[in-house]
Amino acid sequence: MCHQVRLGEVNSVINELLLQFAEWLYATGGSRAIEESFYLYNWIEATHVLTIMLCLGMLVFIDLRMLGLAMPGVSAVKISERLNIPMMIGFIIMFITGLLLFYAKPTYTIQSIWFRIKMVLLLVAFVNAVMFHKRLKASASTWEYEPKAPRRLQISAALSLGLWAGVVMTGRLIAYDWFHCYRELPAWLGAAAGCVAD
Amino acid sequence: MELLPFFEWAETSFLGYIGKTYGGVYATFGQSIHLMSLAVLGGTVLVTDLRLLGVIMKDVPSEVVADQAHKWFRIALAFILATGIFMAAAVAQRMYYNDFFWAKMSALLVGIIFVFAIKRPLLKGNHADIQPWLLKLVAVASILIWFSVAATGRWIGFS
Repeated sequence: MCHQVRLGEVNSVINELLLQFAEWLYATGGSRAIEESFYLYNWIEATHVLTIMLCLGMLVFIDLRMLGLAMPGVSAVKISERLNIPMMIGFIIMFITGLLLFYAKPTYTIQSIWFRIKMVLLLVAFVNAVMFHKRLKASASTWEYEPKAPRRLQISAALSLGLWAGVVMTGRLIAYDWFHCYRELPAWLGAAAGCVAD
Repeated sequence: MELLPFFEWAETSFLGYIGKTYGGVYATFGQSIHLMSLAVLGGTVLVTDLRLLGVIMKDVPSEVVADQAHKWFRIALAFILATGIFMAAAVAQRMYYNDFFWAKMSALLVGIIFVFAIKRPLLKGNHADIQPWLLKLVAVASILIWFSVAATGRWIGFS
C-alpha cells in the first residue's frame, strides 16, 4: 500500500515535470512558428507519414525474409545488410520530423496516451532490433541461404512487425483526443496519460 | 455522368454507417491499416525501383527483387483499396467536394494502370534484354507516380 502511494507520487511528479518542459517548449518562437504555419506543419507531417514507405517498407522486407515470405532464395544476411541503410535513412528522417511535430504541439502531445504508448512500443522495438541483429550476426553463416530463419529470429521478426504496426496505429491515433485530460477519465488512465491536477 | 448520388448513397450504406458512427473503428481499421498497407506498398515500389536504378541490392538479380516485390505489392494494394473504400464511404459527401480526393483518385488510377499495363509486363522478362535507360525511366516514373498518390492522399486530410 505504502509502495503504491509512493509510486503514485513519483508518477505525478514526473508528469508535472514533463508538462512544465512541454509548456516551456510551447512558448518558444520556433514551436509557435511551426504550429501556426499551415504549409510548414503539414509538410513536416506529410514527410513524417510518407517516409514510412522507406523506413518501414524496408523493415517489412527484412522481417518477411526471415519468415520465409519474401525472397527466400536470397541470403538473409544480404537482404538485411543491403536494406538496413535505406531503412536507417528513412528512420532518421522520421525521427527528425517526429521531433519537429512534437515541438510544434508539445503540451497536447505529452498528455496523449497514444503518444506515450507509441514511445514505449518504439523502445521495445529498439531493444528487439538490437537483439535481432546480435543473433543474426552470431548465427547467420549456418542458415543464411535457407528460406526461413531459425525459430528465435523468426519470433523476433514477427514481434518486430507487430510492434511497428502498433507504432503506426498509436501514431495515427495521437490526432484523436478521446482520452485527453479535459475528458472524464478513470484515475489510472489520467495518470497514464500524464494529466496533472490544477 | 452524375456521381453525387453515388457518394450520397455510399455514406448511407452499411460501410459508411459503421465508419461514420464508430470513430474508433474508422481510425484503427480504416486509417491505421491504410497506413500499414502504405508502408508495405511503398516499400515494394521503392525496393524494385531503387534496385532498377542501381541504388540498392546491386548483388541481387533485379528480376528476383521485382517478382517478390510485386507479390507483396498486390497484397498491400488489396488492403489499401479495401480500407480506402471504407474510409471514403464514411465521409463520402465531403470527399465528393474535396479536390485532393479527386487528385488522388486520378493518381491512383494512373498508378494501377502503370503497374499492370506497363511496369509488370516489362519487368516479367529478362532485364538484360531491356535497354538500361528504359529500366531507369520506368523506375523514376514509378517513384514519382506513387509518391503523388501518397502525397495527395495525405493532403486530403489537410484540405
